[in-house]
Amino acid sequence: MPIQVGIDVGGTYTDAVLIANGRIQQTAKVPTQSENLVDTLMEAFDKLAIREGQALDRLTVSTTLVTNAILQEQIPSVNLMLFSGKGMRMDALPWPVDYLELSGEMDFRGREIESPDQKEWEKLLSPDLLEKPTRVAIVGKFSHRNYLHEELLASYLKQLNPSLRIALGHEWGQANFYRRSLTTYLNLGVADLYHQFAQQLQTAVAARKIQTPIFILKADGGCLPLAKIRPIDSIYSGPAASVLSALTQIDSTESSIVVDIGGTTTDMGLVLAGVPLLSSKGAHIGSFATLVRSLSVRSIPVGGDSVVHATDQGFVLESYRLGPAYCLGGNAPTPTDAMRYLGLIDYGNLQLAEEGLASILPPEGRTPQQLKELACAILAQVVERISEAVDSLKREWQEEPAYKVWEVLHPQENHVFHTLVTGGAARGISAALGKRLGTPVKLGYRAEISNALGTAMARPTFDCTLHLDTYMKQYRVEETGEQGKWTGSLRPHKEVEGFLDTLVQRQVQEYGLDTYAVEKEHFDFFPIVQNYRTVGQIVHGAAHQRAGVIGRVIL
Amino acid sequence: MKRTGILFFPAFDWSLGDSHPEREERLLYTQEQLFEEGVLDLPQIKQFSPRVASLHQGLRAQALFPNPQAHTDSLDAHLIAAGSAILLGEARMRGEISNGFVLARPPGHHSGATVWGNRGFCTLNNEAILVNHLRAKYGVKKIAIVDTDVHHGDGTQDIFYHDPNVLFISIHQDGRTLFPGSGFVYEKGGPNAWDQTLNIPLPPGTGDEGYHYVMENWVLPRLQAFAPELIINSAGQDNHFTDPLASMNLTADGYGRITEILQPDLAVLEGGYSIEGALPYLNLAILLALAGEDYHHVREPQKLTRPTLAWADLKPYFEALKKQHQAVQPKFSVQNKPTFPKGNWINIPNSIYYDTEGFQETRQDYIRQCNHCAGTVFIESRRAPQTSILVRIPFHACPECEQAGYDLWEHTHRHSEKIRSGLLQNQLHDKLVVWDSKEGLKEF
Repeated sequence: MPIQVGIDVGGTYTDAVLIANGRIQQTAKVPTQSENLVDTLMEAFDKLAIREGQALDRLTVSTTLVTNAILQEQIPSVNLMLFSGKGMRMDALPWPVDYLELSGEMDFRGREIESPDQKEWEKLLSPDLLEKPTRVAIVGKFSHRNYLHEELLASYLKQLNPSLRIALGHEWGQANFYRRSLTTYLNLGVADLYHQFAQQLQTAVAARKIQTPIFILKADGGCLPLAKIRPIDSIYSGPAASVLSALTQIDSTESSIVVDIGGTTTDMGLVLAGVPLLSSKGAHIGSFATLVRSLSVRSIPVGGDSVVHATDQGFVLESYRLGPAYCLGGNAPTPTDAMRYLGLIDYGNLQLAEEGLASILPPEGRTPQQLKELACAILAQVVERISEAVDSLKREWQEEPAYKVWEVLHPQENHVFHTLVTGGAARGISAALGKRLGTPVKLGYRAEISNALGTAMARPTFDCTLHLDTYMKQYRVEETGEQGKWTGSLRPHKEVEGFLDTLVQRQVQEYGLDTYAVEKEHFDFFPIVQNYRTVGQIVHGAAHQRAGVIGRVIL
Repeated sequence: MKRTGILFFPAFDWSLGDSHPEREERLLYTQEQLFEEGVLDLPQIKQFSPRVASLHQGLRAQALFPNPQAHTDSLDAHLIAAGSAILLGEARMRGEISNGFVLARPPGHHSGATVWGNRGFCTLNNEAILVNHLRAKYGVKKIAIVDTDVHHGDGTQDIFYHDPNVLFISIHQDGRTLFPGSGFVYEKGGPNAWDQTLNIPLPPGTGDEGYHYVMENWVLPRLQAFAPELIINSAGQDNHFTDPLASMNLTADGYGRITEILQPDLAVLEGGYSIEGALPYLNLAILLALAGEDYHHVREPQKLTRPTLAWADLKPYFEALKKQHQAVQPKFSVQNKPTFPKGNWINIPNSIYYDTEGFQETRQDYIRQCNHCAGTVFIESRRAPQTSILVRIPFHACPECEQAGYDLWEHTHRHSEKIRSGLLQNQLHDKLVVWDSKEGLKEF
C-alpha cells in the first residue's frame, strides 16, 4: 500500500497530509515558527500520528527556507569572479551584488578568443582568499559552451587554499551570462543554510524510526531527493504545490485555470492538457534574476478579506487586509461580507454582513435592493481582478516566442479550459468567476491542506537538454552542465537518439528516480557550412519528465 | 522609458538549400550571443512573437505572378517574416515601443513590384509590405526607407519608384562590382516621384569612416528635408569586413554607429552572411544602439586586415558622385497606346533576372503622368511564355488616375489575348483583385 506524506511550510501555517492508497488518512496544521523550520515540520509530521517503524514511500517537503533567506537578505557574501569578455556593458543590467571582472574570453562555439591572465589572478590573493574558507563563484561568458577558464581559475585558487568553497557557472548550462552569474552566486550563498536544514531534517526523521526517502519540492512543480536538489531550485515551491494540488483533482488530460483565493492574496496557474505551464524565463527572486525553472503563476493582492472602502463614486477594493471580515468580527467590510449577504456562504453573521455593507452606502440609500447591488458589484470587482490576471497568464502562454516556421503555422491549439477554484472564498465567487472566464467551474477539495496534498503527490521532474557540436566534437547538457567529447559521426542521426537516452538514464540513476513519462522533443539539426561544404552539425535535443502528480486523490 | 521591441524569428527549420547562405544556421550564433548577453533582460526591451502576414497584406505591395496560388507552397517563411515586420510596425504605431528590430529570416529587399519567384534570396519584400500596411491601416503619409545592406535594394526601389511619399535611399557596394548590378546615381525615381530615390554606390573597401561620412553628410540632410513620419532601416549586415559575398570593411562598432546616426523607427534585417564572424556582434550592436545602450564594448573577434580605402582616396570619389547626382536630369519618354485611357503615359522598360532559379522577367512599365497624385501604374510583365499585368492605383490617387486604372484593368482582362492573369492593386481603397483567365476574378 503506497503511503506518501506531504508537508508544506507556508508563511503563516504549515500543513501536512498523510495519504495511503490515494486516500487522505490524516491531516495537520500548525503555525510556522520561521526561526525553526525543522521543528515546525516535525510538529506537523508528528500530528499525522505515524507509528514508529512505519515505512513511507516518500516524505515530500515544500519549504520557504531558501526563498525567505534570499528575500530577507540573509545570505553570506560570495566572491563573484567573472570572465565577462566583450559585448554588452556589464552595467547595462542591474547587478545586485559586487563582482570582479577578469580577462579571458570564449565565443558561442566554445572557442577561446582570449586566454586568461595569471598575473591578474595573483593580484586577487587577499588574506581572505588565501586563508579562510571563503565562498567563490566563478562564471564565464559562454562557459556553458566551454568551462576551461572557470576550471583553470578554480584549480589555481584551490591549490593555494584547499578550504575555499568554489562554485562554477557552467553547471547552470543555459544561455544567459547575467542570470548564470547570479544563480551560481545564490546557490552557493544558500548552500550552508540548506545543508544544515537537510541534515537536521534527516536526523529528526530517523530519530522517529521512520524509514522514508525525503524529497524536496521545486519551483518547476517537480521534486528531487533531499541530497540531490540544488538548493536554489527549492524557491517558490508554494505556488507550485497549489497547482499540483489541482492536478490531483482533475482529469489527467484536462486543461485548467487554477485559482486559489485566500484571505489576502489570490494565486493562479495554468494547466495545459494535464501539464502545468512553465514560465519561459527563469524565476526572479528579490533583486536577482535567475535561471531557475519555475511554473508560470500569478499572485495578486485580492482576497476574501480585502478591505472595501467607501468613496464619493461608490467604493474601492483595497489590496490589503485589516483582519477578518466584518461578519466575522472584523472592523471593515470585505468581499466575504458581500458573499455572506448574498447567501453564497453560510459562515459569518448575516446581520453584521449587512451592517458592514451598509456602512459603504449613504444612509438614505440602504435599501435591500441597493445593498444587493453593492454586494454584487464588490464581487464583480474581485472577479474582474482575478480574471485580468488569468488573461495575462494566458497571453504570456499564447505569446511565447516561436523560432520555427512549423511552430508559427501550428500555434497552440485552443484548449477547452475548466476552472478549479480553491481557498476560503472559493464558494462565494465560483459562479461569477466561471461566467466571466467562460468556463465550467469546479470547487477544489480541502483548501486548508491543499498545498500539502500537492506536495505529497508531486512527481519528480528532470530535463536533459543536449547541445552537440559535431565539428567541435563537443557535447553539453544544459541542466547538469556536463561537457564532454563527442566521438560519434559528423552527421549523426539515429546515433544521437541513443546518446540522449544514455544521458537520460545516467541522470535518472544519479538522482535515484523512477521514470514516469519521459517525453522527447524533436531533434533540430543545423548543418555547419564552411565554404559551401557541410563540415558538421549542431544538434539540439531534449528529454523531459514534466511536472505532474503520481496519482489522483480518491474523494 | 524608451522601449525597444525585438522580434527574433530565425526560421530554424527553413533554408533555400543545404549549403545555401540563407540556411538554418544563419541566425543560430546570433541567438547564442543575444541570449548569452542577457539583452532580453534589459528592462527597455520587449520581445514579440512572430505572426503570419495575409496574402492581402502581401498583395498591397507586390503582385504574385502568374497568380498567388502558384506561390502558396513556398511562401510560409516569407509570410512570417513580413507578418513579423507588420507586427512590430503596429506596436510602433500604437506607441507601445519607440523603435524595434525585426530580426527575421528570410530577407526581402530584392523582391520587387512583380514577383515570379525568388531572387537574391528574397520572395516577399518585408519592408514594402510593412510600409504599405502602415499607410493603409494608420494613414501614415510619409515614410523613408534607408537600405544599408551591401547590395542595392533594387526590389524596394522598384516598388516605390513612382511613389513621391516614400523616400528610398540605398547605400551599397557599387553595382558594377556586385549583385544585383544596379543602384546607380541616375536612378532617381519615376516621373511623378523624381528625386525620391537616392542611390549612393560606394567603392569596394569602404570602411566605417567613409560610410559614416555618407550617412551624416548626405543621408541625414536628405531625410531632414523629406521629414518622414517613420524611418525604416533595411539593416543588411553584409558590409562587414568578414562577409563572404561582398568587399566592404565595416565593423560591429561601425554598425552600431550607423544605427545611432539613423535613429530608425524600425530596423529590418536583410542580408549578411558572415554568420559567425559578423552577425552575432552586429545584431547585438544594432539592438543595443536601438535600445539606447552603449555598443562600443561589442567587438568581433577577428581583426580587420583587408586594406581599407583611405579617406584621402574616398573624398574625391564622393565629390564626383555628388556632382554626378546633381547633374542627372529627368528623361522620360511618353508612349500612349490607343487602348490607354487619356493622359500621358511614360514608358520605362525593365528587365529583371531571377538568380535563384535562373530566369528572366521582362517588363514594360507605364506611369500616368499626374500633377495631383503618384499616378496610376500599369506593368506588363513577361516570363516566357506567360504575361501578367499589374494595375496600381496609388494611395491618395486622384479621381482621374483611379478611373484610368479601372479602365485599363477592365480593358486588359476583357480584350487582351496574350495576357492571362493580373492584379488590380487599388491602394486608394485597399482593394486587391486577382484576375485569371481560367478562374476569373477573385478578391483578396
